[in-house]
Amino acid sequence: MRHLLITLLCLLSPSLSAHDGMHMDMPRGPELGASAAFDSHGRLYVVDAADGHVRLRHSDDDGRTLSAPIEVNAVAERIYAEGENRPKLAFGPHDEIYVSWSQPRTAPWTGFVRFARSTDRGEHFSEPLTVHHDRAEITHRFDALAVDGKGRIVIAWIDKRDLVAADAANKPYLGAAVYYSWSEDGGASFVPERKLVDQSCECCRIALARTPDGHVAAFFRSIYGDNIRDHAYAVLRTDGQDSTVRRATFSEWHIAGCPHHGPGLAIGADGVRHAVWYEAKSAPTIHYGQLDPGHPPQHATTIAAAGASHADVAVHGHTVWVVWNQVCADGYTLMLRRSTDNGAHFDAERAIAHSGGAVGSPQLLTKSGQAFVAWNTAQGFRLIGVAP
Amino acid sequence: MKRLLPLLFLLLPALACAGSLQPLAANDVATLLEPPAHGERIIALWALDCAYCEPNLQALARLRDQHPDEIELVLVTTDGIEQAATIEARLHGMKMDGYPNRAYAEASPERINFLLDPHWGGETPRVLVIRADGSRLGISGALTPAQLEKLR
Repeated sequence: MRHLLITLLCLLSPSLSAHDGMHMDMPRGPELGASAAFDSHGRLYVVDAADGHVRLRHSDDDGRTLSAPIEVNAVAERIYAEGENRPKLAFGPHDEIYVSWSQPRTAPWTGFVRFARSTDRGEHFSEPLTVHHDRAEITHRFDALAVDGKGRIVIAWIDKRDLVAADAANKPYLGAAVYYSWSEDGGASFVPERKLVDQSCECCRIALARTPDGHVAAFFRSIYGDNIRDHAYAVLRTDGQDSTVRRATFSEWHIAGCPHHGPGLAIGADGVRHAVWYEAKSAPTIHYGQLDPGHPPQHATTIAAAGASHADVAVHGHTVWVVWNQVCADGYTLMLRRSTDNGAHFDAERAIAHSGGAVGSPQLLTKSGQAFVAWNTAQGFRLIGVAP
Repeated sequence: MKRLLPLLFLLLPALACAGSLQPLAANDVATLLEPPAHGERIIALWALDCAYCEPNLQALARLRDQHPDEIELVLVTTDGIEQAATIEARLHGMKMDGYPNRAYAEASPERINFLLDPHWGGETPRVLVIRADGSRLGISGALTPAQLEKLR
């Protein structure tokens, strides 16, 4: 009996001390969700979140040195900044800086979409506002931000108000809706939000890109039939007309779950819609294709397979770049494939950077026709130039 | 001494509730994947952001409680251990804090995802079954009754 008691005590104490240690060692500081962009002067800006503040840094030497951070929200609040959620950054026609993020609320899966702007290149920011007029304590998360050709600030997000209403009426509803709003006054206010589509994926980032005629288009994981999680494409109308949402991928991946894996979109000056997306119907796969909404994508090709995640795509002229994170033996490798014939063929993959620790999703940027990859790692933010 | 022992047993669940969550680092994965001596180990992968995960965990817990000698159930969240307070609160809310619980020790999940199962891209819920004979089964998404049957 005594023996048993001692054994029990021995079993208990390591688990207790491990637990205490875990809390004492809990890391603080910035999460890995970050966004970066070049303004019209070629200055790089980066937003991420630390200790309840979205913070803005800039670099005039392509990321080699970063300025001290400026707090976008003066009053600390909770901020989603990991996985498919990250603060977003975009510029107005006169280099106004627009920042959006999602703010967790108390209950699981709830959030509000927040926005602030700076008209003095980031020295001061407006008090953050909540973009949507609906204030129910539900999901309004996974914000995506873009500026259209007329300077309107367009924000789209995942919204569960229709799921809540359907649940209350005992009606079936898969996933969540996508809603969007825009600002006609440079971000001082946002028009009442409108629904883009019902029954879309509730946990994947939305990709936005500007079309050659200045509209903002969205590419996102939707739901077809019984939890077929393929993607949809829509131009977000800001003229009061309904947006047309059409299915744009036909992978037929069925999953009653959360892929945590949204797509990427870049639209060329010629209007070609270069897209990357992930599915795991038979095995984890990242695809490239040129969207032909209503039909399967053209020039579809497999970009990467097992261990690859969170691809992004960019285009300049007839050069198309695709980057993604690839698991390797001792961490993550940042991988690149390039096409010089507008996406008809891609060269072999090559490693362009490595991280021994955790990494955020890579983001492709272009400046004067040169590509860069913004990569936030546990060791800090990195901007990796892509050799021409 | 004989009086103390039942008291300790009574305390055990409370101690488990107070913090059974342990980190799962890349180096720990091989041990977790070792076939059990008998029966099977069910690794239930879930995430804070996944609304499909709670009913899946409940179904797996019922299955385990029907076959406690045959099934070892281990819950693993793909969220980082730095969110321990939030994860433990959710586990308590789901009444799942009495099972062995692990959370990823890394801030980005893809590497541990891959080590656990290279055929898995991180979608949740995911269940990974390791049988005593070394065979494995992986299923993504909310389990159907037919899929639950196949786990045993």
